[in-house]
Amino acid sequence: MLAFVTVGSTQFDSLIQSVLSEPVLLSLRRRGYMNLILQCGNSQLDLARCIETGNTERVTKNEVDIEYWKFKPSLQEEFEKADLVISHAGSGTILDVLRLGKAVIVVPNPTLLDRHQEELAKALSDRGYLKAATISELPKAIAEIEPSSLQLFPPQDKSRFAKILDEEMGF
Amino acid sequence: MIHIIVFLTLVLSLAAARLYMILPSDTKRRSSSHPKRSTCNLAVFLGSGGHTTEALALVSAIDPKKYHHRQYIVSEGDHLSAQKAKALESSIAERLQASYGTQSYSILTIPRARRVHQSLLTTPASSIVSLFTCVYHVTIKPNLCFQESHSGFADVLILNGPGTCFILCVAVYINKFLGLPAPVVIYVESFARITSLSLSGKLLRPLVDRFVVQWPQLLSDKGRGECVGWLV
Repeated sequence: MLAFVTVGSTQFDSLIQSVLSEPVLLSLRRRGYMNLILQCGNSQLDLARCIETGNTERVTKNEVDIEYWKFKPSLQEEFEKADLVISHAGSGTILDVLRLGKAVIVVPNPTLLDRHQEELAKALSDRGYLKAATISELPKAIAEIEPSSLQLFPPQDKSRFAKILDEEMGF
Repeated sequence: MIHIIVFLTLVLSLAAARLYMILPSDTKRRSSSHPKRSTCNLAVFLGSGGHTTEALALVSAIDPKKYHHRQYIVSEGDHLSAQKAKALESSIAERLQASYGTQSYSILTIPRARRVHQSLLTTPASSIVSLFTCVYHVTIKPNLCFQESHSGFADVLILNGPGTCFILCVAVYINKFLGLPAPVVIYVESFARITSLSLSGKLLRPLVDRFVVQWPQLLSDKGRGECVGWLV
């Protein structure tokens, strides 16, 4: 099975470091995630010297096959392939992944001054749509997440905004 | 000297009175000012990242036959947002192909008010460059340059944040101030904002025609705005 880790366009060194640490890799392996794809964005990491933008590198660690790169124009394909997504708490990524019905563990970036990502992660995890975790809780979150018991995220109700706009414009 | 002071006071109070007149008010209904029409032009600001995802989700919800020209406003260097707008447009074209003729859209690039990591010292200068570009596209070009295609900037402008979208709203206010055609401005607060408004939300709340949030807690101060649940 495949786990996909994404930080979007942000720099989130501690998440990348944590994902490459032994406790997380062992936890992934125990759940059958033998393949890991890592989208590093602007994060700095020890392996970074070998990833120029556009390059893909591979390494095997704790028997998990890891592929890592910085950016791709669209992550849609990775989201679709993945059995589990581990993501920073960006709202765009969360919406994209939940709409695909994928299991996602969201890790808010603790270095951000604004706490709104944390709030979003908590609000959606309280409703059972995803699992929220801190960096140190990640191995446990991977061990515990049951994709089948997550609530299905509702599709976009397009009529709501269409109604506001049509009303305003006199249609 | 006294004449100058009197003159300035007069000008400033007239400007303040004009501003007060054009500020949106919830008591006077606006629907009357927008007569029935068959189609209109829409503009939307794509603020990158999650803002772009949300803004494009909003556009995907509208009827492209009614909003027959869609202008996507992106910040300089934000190629990803421009690409995503093109992808949405090709899906709209595909969807309508059988039943409807040509679809039209355009992408407008404006300079950023402030780049990430830009020094605060140079931010006022780049904000002014950004404002002038917005004023050119919202005020000067549609009203002073005679174009054969469609007149006016857009009939409605959709904003979802962040920063630069405030500058667009300022440009719209210059039109309103001068009595020129100005778009209806609809601000939709980000889905990520649950208990506190974003900076652009706070700034734009008194200025826009419709202020929409996606989590009801944001209206617990009984201030301006409406919530009909999640829109994206």
